[in-house]
Formats: sequence, structure tokens, C-alpha cells
Amino acid sequence: MALIEVKDLVKKYKISQKKHGVVGYIKHLIHPKYKEVTAVNNISFNIEEGELVGYIGENGAGKSTTIKMLTGLLTPTSGKIEVNGIVPNEKRIQNNKQIGAVFGQKTQLWWDLPVIESFKLIKKMYDLSDKEYEENLEKFTKILDLKDLLDKQVKNLSLGQKMRCEIAATFLHNPKVVYLDEPTIGLDILVKENIRKFIKDINKEQKTTIILTTHDLKDIEEVCDRIILIDKGNIIYDGEKENFKNEYGKHIIAEFIIENKSKNITLETSEEEFEVIEESENSIKIKFNHDKLTVMDVVKSVSNYCEILDMHIQEEGLEEILKEIYRGEIIND
Amino acid sequence: MIRNIKIYFSFLGASLKRMIEYRVDCIIGMISQIAFQVIELIFIWIVFQNTDNIAGWTFEHLLLLYGVTMLSLAVTDVLFDSTYSIGYRLIRKGKFDTILLRPVHPLISILGESDTTTSLGYMVLSIILIISMLIKLQITITALLVFKILYLGILGGLIIGGIQTAFSIAGFWTYKSNEVVWSVFQLHKLAEYPIEIYNKFIKVLITLIFPFAFAAYYPTLEYLQLGKGNLIFIMSLIVIVEWIIVIKIWDWGLNKYRSTGN
Ligand SMILES: Nc1ncnc2c1ncn2[C@@H]1O[C@H](COP(=O)(O)OP(=O)(O)O)[C@@H](O)[C@H]1O
Ligand SMILES: [Mg+2]
Repeated sequence: MALIEVKDLVKKYKISQKKHGVVGYIKHLIHPKYKEVTAVNNISFNIEEGELVGYIGENGAGKSTTIKMLTGLLTPTSGKIEVNGIVPNEKRIQNNKQIGAVFGQKTQLWWDLPVIESFKLIKKMYDLSDKEYEENLEKFTKILDLKDLLDKQVKNLSLGQKMRCEIAATFLHNPKVVYLDEPTIGLDILVKENIRKFIKDINKEQKTTIILTTHDLKDIEEVCDRIILIDKGNIIYDGEKENFKNEYGKHIIAEFIIENKSKNITLETSEEEFEVIEESENSIKIKFNHDKLTVMDVVKSVSNYCEILDMHIQEEGLEEILKEIYRGEIIND
Repeated sequence: MIRNIKIYFSFLGASLKRMIEYRVDCIIGMISQIAFQVIELIFIWIVFQNTDNIAGWTFEHLLLLYGVTMLSLAVTDVLFDSTYSIGYRLIRKGKFDTILLRPVHPLISILGESDTTTSLGYMVLSIILIISMLIKLQITITALLVFKILYLGILGGLIIGGIQTAFSIAGFWTYKSNEVVWSVFQLHKLAEYPIEIYNKFIKVLITLIFPFAFAAYYPTLEYLQLGKGNLIFIMSLIVIVEWIIVIKIWDWGLNKYRSTGN
């Protein structure tokens, strides 16, 4: 049995169709009309203990809705969820003891208390022993560099400082599962890297199961082993990140440093051969499908028009692959 | 249960620390509340310029009743202030989600956020008023009587607080839930006068449906040694039954909220 089991999960939101004017308002009171929006449309997946899963998709794809159901904040319209044998939305308090969660920039810390006071309240709430608490506090303070922040009031912290404290608070009680919904939104690079390192370390050390949604695909590239891709409420990919790249990332980008160009290459070549992304006197960037062409084919074609001094080859990143999927350039079965 | 109560007090402790930060606000709040009470007292005094009793109650009796009501309200305010604006303060800002993710019942978190000390002044004032009126009415002040005043005052606060908490679920549907809670809360004004002056409907309303009368009228009778039955027992029972119902109502509201998503 997997740690998290999700089966045929559906969430439909009812949006009331409010009318304007007094008459419309009264009509609505007597006979309310609703429009239904399906945010999550029949999804299933299992997650094993210790997995680090990236849950990705465009804005409005249904990521937050799924996380809210997993945490028990939202009742599913239909379908089944079990987390460590507990149905989150039925046994909320019991479920809350074994999970931690971050939702964007909403803070679980006490706004006008020093950070350390919030941590102490968390210790009380989760019945942590002094030893567990001290150990974690020391470890987290080191990795997340919290030393100078602990005595400050939360309201006086910068966004990045707040998120570092928030992450520490989330993991303080050694939760079995942690849900992170957009934890890096709005943060600068250094803080992002700090948080990524923390997530990876804790996952490795404690075998904490972590589900992460994010806008920043670098988070996923660096942190996650598995991705679940959701689009308009449906899961369109679920598997290893590397497989995902192999399956969908059929394009290679080659950048050539050239000289003595005889012709404009963009004009001379046809779309079917390869796509020229950028062209200048001394360089050219080409994207091509690796299933159809080899690197040598491309080198040969380019050398017809100029001399090649150097070249650099790069596989497509997650970001480019996802863009193609969203544009419908990659057909899914 | 014991665990929940412990956590509740930890939360209150945190609120207290926060309050100390805002001392000045507290003092100003206290002064304005006391001024407000004095105005109400003047109003009662004006009424008695033209008559010497209302349904057999003299000016002193009414001031006693007023003091008893005020004590219950002060307790309500200190303990349940934070139930007022759940919609605006917690749900609109998304803070409620973080409360729902804690391993304790959300009401513990919400009540634990209460941070009005402003009513503490008001509590002292009401106790002074009660005792001095009782002395004026020639009732002997015994230790038992003082205990009753304090104990029934707390129960009165729990009774009004329960009603307020039940209606706070309006916050699950509207950000303006404070207006709903406020309207129901205003019913306590009915209990500031002797219950004899009302018709049957209002009597039933304030004793059985919203038992405000137990936070004002009945304890007053008890202190005047006019009570029938064991009020300590009856009110303790009312508080327990009421709160079982309140928690049921609250959980029902919460479930509705969790199935719609706000
Ligand atoms: N409380 C709500 N009421 C109505 N519709 C909602 C609500 N929350 C989200 N939605 C809709 O459900 C869909 C999925 O939203 P969400 O889960 O927030 O997506 P994501 O987190 O992937 O951006 C969107 O179309 C969104 O507009
Ligand atoms: Mg989202």
C-alpha cells in the first residue's frame, strides 16, 4: 500500500451566477443559479513514502485544488484519498498531526510575535519532546540560516526571511508528508536555492514525502525525481522526470560559432529540415528534432553555408518542453 | 480535551504577549468603554426621574441587574471577542486555512486569539456596582455570595459567548459576519430589564432559545434571595448543553465551508 493513494478524484466548484439589480438579487435568493467548474477531473495516483514529487501545470490547471483536498481543507466532490491510511477530510485533526503544508505566501506563524515564540507554540501543539524540538531547531537554523531571525517579529521580516522561517515551521514536527504549494513564489535566487537544498536534505535524511507545486521549473529540475503534470484538471503525465524529458524532449538546440557566411541560412533552409532560432554574422542557433536528424546531419547542412569554428549542444529543458505541450505541439495519447 | 485546553492557554498566553505591545490602544479602549457604560447608566437614571419603579423594580434593583449583565458581557468580551469577525479577519485573508491545518480544533485557535483586555476595567466596574447595590438593598455580603457572583458571571459570559460563537459561522458565507453576530448579540439588551415586562414570546426567546436571561435576570434574582431552584446547577447544565449544540453547529458550518471552497 502506497503512503498516499488518490483514486478517481473529482472537484467541481459551484459558482453562483449573481445578477445585477434588486430584482436579480431577489431572484437569486429564491432560486439560486450555479455554474459548475470542474477544477479536478477524475485523477488517480499513488505516492510512496520518501518520494519527492513535482506537481506541475499551468495557472488554473487544478494544482492548488488537489493539494487542498489532500490536506483535508477541501472536501472532494467524489473519489477517494488516503494518506497513511487516513481519509484527510474525515479525520482532519489526526491527519494534521502527520502533515505540514505551505500555501504560497500565507503564513502559519504568529504575525506579531518573535519567530521563536511561534516555534514554541508549534512544539506545544504537536506535543514535541524537548529533544526532538531542540534537534530540529538547531539543524534548521543552520541550513536555513535563521540565527538572526528567531528573535524578530514575523511582521518585520522580508519575504525571503519569512519563507525560510515558514519552511522551518512546516518541518519542525517531523511530518510524514509535506505539501508545498508555490513555496518559492516571489523569492530571489539565493533564497530559492537555500530552500531547495533544505527540501532535498530533509527528504534524504528523514524520508519525508514531499509534494511540491511551483511556477519555477528550476525548482523541479533541481529537486524532484518524479513529476505529475496536470492540465485542465486531467493528469497528462505521471512518471520519472528523466523519462519525461526523453519522451517529450525530442528537440536539441545547437549553437554554432561561424565565419565567412555566404548566404542567409534562415532563408535557404526549409522548416522541415530544422528551425533557425537566431542568426547573426558570427553565430547561429538551431533547433531540430533528434528523431529525424542527427547532429552530424545538421553540422553538414550548416557547413554548406559557412565555416564552423565551434559548437555547443544543449538538450531542451523542462520549461521549453512544457511550453510545447501547452501550445499543443506535442500530441498526447 | 485537556490537551486542547492546555493549547488554548498557550495561545492566550501568546495573545497576551502581543497585547503588551499595544498597551496604549488597550488603555484608550478601556477608557472609552467605561464612558460608554456611564452614558447607559445616566439613561436609566433619567427613566427613574418620572417613576419610582418598573414592574416593581426600583432604581437600585435595576442598577443591580445592569451590573450583573455588564459582568457577563465583560466575560464574553474577554473570552470571545475573536469570534466577531471570522469572515473578515480570517477567511477573507486566507488565514483560516492555516488554522484548519493545525492539530487542534479550529475554535481553540480562534478563541485563543482573543486579545481584549479593555473589558477588564469594565469587569471591575460591574463587580463594584453589583456589590454596592446589594449593600444598599440590605443584602449581607457573604463569601458564598461573592463566589456565586463570580461563578455565575463566568457562566453568564459562557452563555452569551456560546450564542455569539454559534452565529460566527456566518463568516463561512460572508465577510460581513460581524454584522450578523452583532445583531444577535443586541438581543442581550432585552435582558437588561426585568423579564416580567415582556410578553410570552420574548420571554421564551430570551430564556429558552437564546438564554440571555440566564446571564442577567436569573442571577440577579438569586443575589436578591428571590431565586427558585439551584441556579448554580441549572446554569452549569445550560452551559454544557448549549456548548455541545454550539460545537455541533460550528462543525456543520465548517463542513459546508469545506465543501464549497470560498
Ligand atoms: N474557490 C473557488 N471557487 C470557484 N472556482 C475556483 C475556486 N478555486 C479555484 N477555482 C477554479 O478552479 C480551477 C483550478 O484552480 P487552482 O486549483 O487554483 O489551479 P492552480 O493552482 O493549478 O493554478 C481554476 O479554473 C480556478 O478558477
Ligand atoms: Mg495554485
